[in-house]
Amino acid sequence: MSGDTLADVAFWVFGVGSVVAAWLVFRTDSMVRAAYWLLASFAGVGLIMVLLEARFLGLVLILMMAGEMTIMAVFMVMFMMNPAGLNPMTMVHQHRTAKIAGVVSFVGLAYVGLVAEFPDRPVDGGEGATAALGRELLGDSMLLFETAGVTLLATMIGAIAISSKKGRYGDGELGSAPPPLEPDAPGPGPAPTPPEVAPAEGELLASSEAKAAGDGDHADHVERAEARP
Amino acid sequence: MSWSSPLPAVGLVGFVLVVGSYAVAVVDRALGRVAAGTGAGVVRTVAGPARDGALLVLTRRSTTQRPDVEAWVLAPAIVAAMAGVAVAAVPLAEGVAVADVDDGIVLIGAAFALVMVGVYLHGWSANSPMPLLGGYRFVALALSYEMPLALVLIAAALPAESLSVGAIVASQHDLWNVVRQPLGLPLFLIVGTGLAWWGPLNMADGRDLAGGTAVEASGPARLAWEVARRSVVVAVAVVAAAVFLGGWQGPLLPGWLWMAVKTLVVIIVITGAGHRVARVRLEHFVVVAWALLIPLSLVDVFVSGALAL
Amino acid sequence: MGLIARLAARADIPVFPFVGAGGRAGARALGLLDGVRVVDHPRAATLLVVTGRPTRALLPPLLALHDQLPAPRATVWWQHGTSGADLLAAVGPVVVSPSGDGASLRRVFSDLLSGARPSEPAALPDIETAWRGVGPYGQGGTGMTGGNPYGRPLPARAPDPDGLELDQLQLRVGPAFPPLPAGLVLHLGVQGDVLRTVAVGANPFTCWPGDEVLGPFDAQPFHDALEDPAPVAAIELARARHHLHWVAGVLGLHGLGARGRAVAGLAERLDVGSGPATGALARRLLRSRSLRSTMEGIAVLSGGDARSVGGPVARAAGAAMDARADDAGYEGLGFEPVVRQTGDAWARFGQRLLEADQAVALAQRCGDRVRRPGPPLEGPRGPLAPGGAGRMTSAWLADVLPGLLADAEWGDAMTAVVSLDLDLEEVAAADEMAATSR
Repeated sequence: MSGDTLADVAFWVFGVGSVVAAWLVFRTDSMVRAAYWLLASFAGVGLIMVLLEARFLGLVLILMMAGEMTIMAVFMVMFMMNPAGLNPMTMVHQHRTAKIAGVVSFVGLAYVGLVAEFPDRPVDGGEGATAALGRELLGDSMLLFETAGVTLLATMIGAIAISSKKGRYGDGELGSAPPPLEPDAPGPGPAPTPPEVAPAEGELLASSEAKAAGDGDHADHVERAEARP
Repeated sequence: MSWSSPLPAVGLVGFVLVVGSYAVAVVDRALGRVAAGTGAGVVRTVAGPARDGALLVLTRRSTTQRPDVEAWVLAPAIVAAMAGVAVAAVPLAEGVAVADVDDGIVLIGAAFALVMVGVYLHGWSANSPMPLLGGYRFVALALSYEMPLALVLIAAALPAESLSVGAIVASQHDLWNVVRQPLGLPLFLIVGTGLAWWGPLNMADGRDLAGGTAVEASGPARLAWEVARRSVVVAVAVVAAAVFLGGWQGPLLPGWLWMAVKTLVVIIVITGAGHRVARVRLEHFVVVAWALLIPLSLVDVFVSGALAL
Repeated sequence: MGLIARLAARADIPVFPFVGAGGRAGARALGLLDGVRVVDHPRAATLLVVTGRPTRALLPPLLALHDQLPAPRATVWWQHGTSGADLLAAVGPVVVSPSGDGASLRRVFSDLLSGARPSEPAALPDIETAWRGVGPYGQGGTGMTGGNPYGRPLPARAPDPDGLELDQLQLRVGPAFPPLPAGLVLHLGVQGDVLRTVAVGANPFTCWPGDEVLGPFDAQPFHDALEDPAPVAAIELARARHHLHWVAGVLGLHGLGARGRAVAGLAERLDVGSGPATGALARRLLRSRSLRSTMEGIAVLSGGDARSVGGPVARAAGAAMDARADDAGYEGLGFEPVVRQTGDAWARFGQRLLEADQAVALAQRCGDRVRRPGPPLEGPRGPLAPGGAGRMTSAWLADVLPGLLADAEWGDAMTAVVSLDLDLEEVAAADEMAATSR
């Protein structure tokens, strides 16, 4: 199989794979899987960029997306009410708006893709795409990228300053609730902890059937008499 | 010469990973026996990992209730494959590199970043609390490694004026990077130990979690995970040997032998640290990683850049 | 046997120890056996070694643990005493052997691999927890986030000190959780890896009517010294041994398992001439910066809580309370209690190391002196009352542990619990004494 055919096959595999992975992001019930299907989609795009001789950009895309999709998985599990799809609550909303927006963007992009004239200048691999990229970043586009870089740095420093131990309203260990509105109400402090779990007396001798489902000794969820709301 | 046919390439990388992981296991066992003061019988130390592996092959694989089966199977595969990708970018002898691409350093960084994904998936997919905690604690720390890793590797690339690992090795023909950039190798080893969740940075599989992400793995799945973990140590050692210790260059001995010796030295340093340094406190080390390691790696880049100009 | 089986039969035997009443000494001996590797979780083990006597309360966890071992598996009971066989019959065809017998382990292991011994069947029936709901995974229940998928209640949201509402997972760890002392059951509410609510579960070593009395204890030489005359050197060496085994456990918890094994080996070989070795060990470990940073500032226990329990916990908090100062057997030996000030886990670590060194020095100085039986006797965890009970009761644990572990991160919490050197059997004995004296 010649190099060109290999490149074509690879392009179709990565391209179709990216689209399918992106579709699966919204079809899967599990939020962690959704994050990693998105990573797979980005990885497909990154590999297509490698095929187009923009190797540095493609690899940097994969490098950044690996960390970012992991952060996204962590945050989705943390904040969403139904992260594993075990509840009847649906995780997709506003179907009509989404359909309209999807159709409109598809029509727009397809129009651009069909009507626009894409440049036809094959790049010879020997030139060194990374060096060309570097010259562009620090040459003609220096102002653009340096501004963006400094803005990002300022954002990061600001985020760290807000979330640091010496928080906005006092020591972070005490909890970061804002000061109260009334002048003599108690100040910021840790939120009240929920009521303590009191283990039932006969609990250790209770149902061995509960253990039969393969629960470990290390972590066994306390049996409750009634379902939690 | 870059290898364009897949079979010898996969074979070479696989050989390096398998032999390397076995070497990591033997070195770990030997250093453990020395630290424990028990007699280090040579046969038992060298054959030990093979015997343990045979026992794991014979043991049945266990499963939990409603795990994420695909992710559970993929996790050790991702970790080992990414270790292989990192090894593939490194020239193992003069002119022998599976994929000495022009952006080898970026490829290595991307591979190590995806190792993090594999560990998180292994912790999450077992549907069990201890692995979940192990996966999360690992991610909490591993996200801090990306910046020192990238900066230290870039600093090593500056004297070579190229991102290709082969060029970096060639640029060390008169002076190794470990001498030229003294901060580089210690920082890379710390980050590498963390990426392989080994020793003092073992947040994922530690004893405080009764085994962490490996809790629900038994039999061949456990064997795959242990091999994958040691493959990451091998990848870190191979990259360190190439980027900081001059790679295959050296008098008298052939290139591949020098590479093997240097890799072995780095493996001994990493596993030795595992037996001498206690496991760090998680929040404390996150502060160290951001407040100490990143500024040090920035200093490394600036000094290296100043010298290169 | 095939080639792989023959190769595997020479491997280090992975065992998971299950500690019953009076079984702590057996579990320690297990860690020191050559050719045996103690693992962190049953799924990594081939043999389940039950030491001591399983109580009725320990049976359900034992059955669950047994079923977690992957096939081929076997259970070996290092029997101590005569009772408990009826309970172990529920586990399956258990191999009974005397405590400390390593050869029986190797025999059972090779028989398992060669096929001469069949793998033990599961002790509990494999029932899928019945749960039906709407949807392909059976999801659904009452309300938007309702239901108990597969019998496990979904974590409810609970406030966080930062004012957020995050899920809180309810976990029960113990009684055979390897980092924790044997028998300790903790009911935890964790948000992420931070413990928010901590409750101590029922002590599985509590004696029910009809049970055999508690014992032999981990600190049995001290309990015997309350009844019979005992040489002071033997008592002090037992104290040093106890503290060094504890230090080995701490090192193992923090990832320094090989060094822990070296310390345990030193503890086993301890005699009156071991002064230089223990001194060097204490100096080396107290100089270790990594250990210090891991334990410093954690689990500060001072004031009334520390004083009420006595022993090294109190002395590490600055209270110079030591029953040996009033003990006639130690007169003229120049005994001064070792006291450290900060009361955190690092202080307790240094305290026990230095006390071990001091104990060996005392053993060497006192020669053949024999001590008269009776109180006051300083045990390794504090003063011992007649009947063998220390001062640490379940009430004290339930009072102190939640405060000590509140808002602690998981690793710090494990360090904190281990730093208290708990023995749940002694706690059960103390409870009994407190109950009968009322």
